Amino acid sequence: MKLTVNGEFTHMPDIATVGDLLDHFGVQHQAVAVIANGNIVARDVFRQFTVQTGDTIEIIRFVGGG
Amino acid sequence: MSDPSTHLPVITDKERVRRLLALPGTRPNRLARLHTARVAIVGMGGLGNASAQYLAAQGIGHLTLIDGDRVDATNLGRQVLFGPSDIGTLKIEAAFKALSRIAPKLEVDTIADYFTEHNGASLIASHDIIIDGLDSAAARHWINRAALNKGVPVIFAGAVGYEAQVFAVYGKPPCLSCLWPTMTDADGDCVTHGILGPLVGMVGSLQAAEAIKHLIGFADKPGSLWTFDLFQGRTRVVSVPPNPLCPVCGSVSRGPSS
Repeated sequence: MKLTVNGEFTHMPDIATVGDLLDHFGVQHQAVAVIANGNIVARDVFRQFTVQTGDTIEIIRFVGGG
Repeated sequence: MSDPSTHLPVITDKERVRRLLALPGTRPNRLARLHTARVAIVGMGGLGNASAQYLAAQGIGHLTLIDGDRVDATNLGRQVLFGPSDIGTLKIEAAFKALSRIAPKLEVDTIADYFTEHNGASLIASHDIIIDGLDSAAARHWINRAALNKGVPVIFAGAVGYEAQVFAVYGKPPCLSCLWPTMTDADGDCVTHGILGPLVGMVGSLQAAEAIKHLIGFADKPGSLWTFDLFQGRTRVVSVPPNPLCPVCGSVSRGPSS
């Protein structure tokens, strides 16, 4: 499937949900925000939120420290 | 030998803002606002150091510096207002000394305390904008909530390792909690993960730039989030939408209940 992830067009193995996408990239679900096609995806539905080919996804990890 | 300070040329407020006049998006009648602006910097670490020096140099009238920490030798690689002779002194006092050299007419309040859920609202009261220089995810959420309640803008930032981000919240949605409603396991500290010194200077300077743009009337762009990854060599600006389910500002965006 074709996705745009963090601004980069990418070919992915077929995945079903935002949770699968995070697992694919090895991103922990805590302290991460996901924006799918311009809408924020609530963390408690990462496992249910469907991803489709052509989607634009932003994965934003909180950066602490200062 | 005479005191060299008696021979210093007088720098007026107009001279500090003269190079802003030609900038697109600047309203000349708003430049005077810098002189009367009150900016609170919460945390005088790497981010606070960098933002403070540019805010002072550009002619901000008042800075409130809030931090209970003392200068440590390991701070000197990135906290550029401090020198070896400052080790062991309160960061706010060492910063005040350095900022007074940069801008002698700058008015500074120093508060030797840490921002908490309980004192936060009173610490940021009567300020036009807040600079987040904290190293605690929980405290960032306290600032977010307190500032939204008062409608005060906050320029958030974080930096650890090679990564940094800046997120401006203008007293209305979207806010920090729209993206990260809970912060479990969010803290990454510079002791464990390291920190590239100039990185905090870079994003602290961006915080100052966004604060100054807001104060001089440049149109805000709510939801702009800058991300920097100097390991991969990537920089992006992401547009963050308001989150209707946000536990902090979601109710604000829904308006009064009927």
